[in-house]
Amino acid sequence: MIELKSVIKTFSNGVEALINVTLHVGKEEFIFLVGPSGAGKTTLMKMLYREEIPSSGQVVVDRINVTKLAEDQIPFLRRNIGVVFQDYKLLPRRTVYENVAFALQVTGAPRSQIRRRTMQALELVGMLKRAKSFPSELSGGEKQKTCIARAIVNNPLILLADEPTGNLDPQTSWDIMELLDKINRRKTTVVVATHNKNIVDGMRKRVVVIEGGRITRDQQLGTYSQE
Amino acid sequence: MSTFSNLEFFVVEAFRGIGRSPLMSFVAIGIVTVTLTIFGFFMLGVINLGNVVSTMGAKLDITSYVNKDLSNRDAAELEVRLKKIDGVEKVNYYSKDDSWKDFKEEYSGKLELGEVVSENPLPNTFAIKVRSPEILPNVAAAISKIEEIDEVRYSGKLISQVQNLVEAVRLAGFVFVFLLFFATLLIVVNTIRLTVLARETDIYIMRLVGATSSFVRWPFVIEGIVIGVGGGVFAVLLLRATYETLAFKVSAAFPFLPVVTDSFLLSMVFAAVGITGAMLGMIGGYISVSRLLKNA
Repeated sequence: MIELKSVIKTFSNGVEALINVTLHVGKEEFIFLVGPSGAGKTTLMKMLYREEIPSSGQVVVDRINVTKLAEDQIPFLRRNIGVVFQDYKLLPRRTVYENVAFALQVTGAPRSQIRRRTMQALELVGMLKRAKSFPSELSGGEKQKTCIARAIVNNPLILLADEPTGNLDPQTSWDIMELLDKINRRKTTVVVATHNKNIVDGMRKRVVVIEGGRITRDQQLGTYSQE
Repeated sequence: MSTFSNLEFFVVEAFRGIGRSPLMSFVAIGIVTVTLTIFGFFMLGVINLGNVVSTMGAKLDITSYVNKDLSNRDAAELEVRLKKIDGVEKVNYYSKDDSWKDFKEEYSGKLELGEVVSENPLPNTFAIKVRSPEILPNVAAAISKIEEIDEVRYSGKLISQVQNLVEAVRLAGFVFVFLLFFATLLIVVNTIRLTVLARETDIYIMRLVGATSSFVRWPFVIEGIVIGVGGGVFAVLLLRATYETLAFKVSAAFPFLPVVTDSFLLSMVFAAVGITGAMLGMIGGYISVSRLLKNA
């Protein structure tokens, strides 16, 4: 599903974000990307939906060479990738329902589908009852659930979550992880970048460690730190 | 179905944008109004000057005046001499008295002549038709050699002068209007850019979930069109009211000036003003979001 081959990313200011990264993530896999801040986790994720382009190497998503993708094809790549952020990036003047429906509206989906699929996504994340609330009225966990609903409403093949529990208390963090696990069991490939040791150790998924722009460990049923 | 719900989405988003910075939108509409009003007046000016030229062009003949009183015999003799000049096709003679009578009839009701002049100020007139416009100057020169003729006039000279004036006005106006359009475009772009900046997260999310560039653009383009058309409507209202008053006053003060009042032609001018407004707004909206789309 995801294939990185000898990917190097050097920013214009000379910072080397990724150095010779090669990674394969299979269909319906769940992986954790762990490592200190600035290690290159976010850069790696951004390359998957073409917000960053590698300086060299190849990025392939769902058999599409993202590196060589024409500008006008990028939107169609992104419809297959859902993204969840630490700071949620919800639109403050729109309700929970509108935030989620927005992701469908802007892809030109027909109205009949928008309502049905938005409701389904909200139900899946358990936010149906809060559909009419505005983001300012929500708790952190509820905001993150809304953000997840927005990311999956398009039925993407891949869900990327960048520090999804960064702003949440431990219990809520577990709720969110269970939700991501549930989405994974519905055959969506899930990539989670995180600092949260408890969660990584508790979930026992594949763990890929990035340090200084290099992959230093890739372990099935892994833990946060080397055992 | 899908296209319709898209359009609804674009329009709702466009008005949200306007609602987010109402004062700036209002200022932008005001500036578009001013620009389009000037543009409209410039067009009306050129059309009216053009009308003057074509009205004058219809009278391609030479008029020569004799100030002193002429007996009928003198006049007939002079007429024969004029006819002998090479290139002259036809000569008509209007005596002082005939001309005065005609003039009074033509302008009765429009001017109170009795209040202005007490006696006939008009000369005896020979209206000379020439075979073709190119020979006008030569024929005029030949006529002016006749001793009794006091003054020779032909509209060709005036026509070319007015034509030059129209050309000059057109050129200067073109440059001026172009600069004005450019300045207005900058203001429209910057007004809509305020919305763009306020909605940076929206745009980011839109692009992230796979909205195409054109989809992201549409609400801003529509916002521009609303500003442009708003300015256009105000400009047309302003132009109509001012032009009608002005046209009425000008034809009252200078009845001999052919003021354009053809309602079809005027409607075309007003339509052009409105369309230009919409175009200005559309281009402004398009440009305003371009930089953000390139960065993403």
